[in-house]
Amino acid sequence: MNRARVARHAGQGALLVALFVFLFPIAWLFSTAYKRAADIFAIPPVLTFTPTLRNFETLFEFFNVPQLTLNTIIISFGTAIVALTLGTPAAYALARLDRWWAHGIAYFFLAIRMIPPVAILIPFYLMMRDVGLLGTYWALIILDAMQSTSFVVWMMFGYFRGVPKEIEEAAVVDGCTQWGAFIRIVLPTVVPGLIASALFCILFAWNNFIFPSFLTNSQTRPLSVALVSAYGSNEINWGTMGALAHFSVLPIVALALLLNRYFVQGLTRGVH
Amino acid sequence: MIGLPALLYMVLVALWPLGQGLYYSFTDYTLTRPGRVNWVGWENYTDMFADPSARRAILNTFVFTFAAVGLQLAVGLGLALLLWRESRFNRIALALMLIPVTVTPLAVGLMFRAMLEPDFGILGYWARVLGLSPTRGFLADENLALATLILIDVWEWTPLMALILLAGLKSLPTDILEAAEVDGASRFQRFWRIIVPMLLPAIFLALVMRSMDAFKIYDSVFVTTGGGPNDATNVLMYHAAKIGLEFFQIGAASAVSTFMLICVGLLAASFVLMIRAAESRLGAR
Repeated sequence: MNRARVARHAGQGALLVALFVFLFPIAWLFSTAYKRAADIFAIPPVLTFTPTLRNFETLFEFFNVPQLTLNTIIISFGTAIVALTLGTPAAYALARLDRWWAHGIAYFFLAIRMIPPVAILIPFYLMMRDVGLLGTYWALIILDAMQSTSFVVWMMFGYFRGVPKEIEEAAVVDGCTQWGAFIRIVLPTVVPGLIASALFCILFAWNNFIFPSFLTNSQTRPLSVALVSAYGSNEINWGTMGALAHFSVLPIVALALLLNRYFVQGLTRGVH
Repeated sequence: MIGLPALLYMVLVALWPLGQGLYYSFTDYTLTRPGRVNWVGWENYTDMFADPSARRAILNTFVFTFAAVGLQLAVGLGLALLLWRESRFNRIALALMLIPVTVTPLAVGLMFRAMLEPDFGILGYWARVLGLSPTRGFLADENLALATLILIDVWEWTPLMALILLAGLKSLPTDILEAAEVDGASRFQRFWRIIVPMLLPAIFLALVMRSMDAFKIYDSVFVTTGGGPNDATNVLMYHAAKIGLEFFQIGAASAVSTFMLICVGLLAASFVLMIRAAESRLGAR
């Protein structure tokens, strides 16, 4: 008996060490926001510091934070809306088609996600330049939503196949139209899948860097692109970076923690 | 019918640009020198294989992918085993452990660059003073920069690996595990003879996902080393984006990205074959 208890405590101890390794850098990142330059550039580096809000003043002085945040929200929510609107019906149709090629098409959507982004980005960049959309939200949303739609189709395909056909057929017999049965009977049963899908669409678009760094301009750029310039010089230093991280990193981490159940579901179900 | 818009969207925004890229890769298309676009055959590809910088990128990308994903598998499997038992402590530990997965990858790169900075960084300073790192720091050293990037990737994505393996562990039939315990199989035997073979499909799945992602590493390279020092951390995705969208040599960059596409396809195909083999072996039992 005692050996089992010792083993369990050793396991918990090991997990606590792992948690420290995974969480310390993040805590450090946020703590830099409250450090004076003197504490940031102390030799040797120190963990203690006199709290200050000076870095947030610098941040708002050099960066249009409300605009950056708004851009990020427009891009990530826009992506989620487009991807869910297009992807959900497609996933439903594929799940209900009893043909061998329906599975093939589902795998086609999965394969889209494996394409190296740069293979599409370069020609897409030229396309957007030719049609004059380069630098607009649309250029980025169209490309982000392409990736997210393929993800949503694959993920929702799995959820819809878990819904028994009989309950829709019963609804149709009771006088519902096919479309009505989909909206009123099937969709409500896959709400967890829809939440998980939306969360991932937002997460991908929010954290993406390579697409916005080439497709947006100084007016439409999101937080992730601004983060690069919040580092380096004497005045704009790690403190500014830590302060900006409160806007770029904290919201998405908080959202994923808040929706942890759906986040875990998406990571374990949506991927296969 | 209602699936058509999504399918059309994929064709227009994924396949069409992909096809264009394939075509560009056989031309001398550059934005800096306007004029006719000429068909040059395989020239961009032969140039790529002759270019030391591109060759280094190919090598680095494969080293990075296999080393990072291999380490993630080893550490992730350990964590998954620790988290296996159902308890409140483990549930909370898992939720907290997944935080690195959600942090913006670019911010992760910046964060580690600051922490590893050899003069003021909380890790870099002590590593330098204790003689563990070269004076210019890990990221500025030709021999250590790629290894450092690999460890950053391990920090960021191991929790995801652990989660997928944990889901695999939880779906194992408990009767077989209990029977083995009753029959007196040791912990070691149970792990290697029963758990690992039954977990193989989950392991391969996690490997496919992670290696596809690791193969297209970009953000942390861009923000920590910029491919340097001396191409020591140049990777394919970074190389293609740089020559394509900074130097605007569209043809040459398209050859690199097409090459990446072929590698990813071969990688995925070999994993699928391994999954099939693992599953049929399991089914045969």
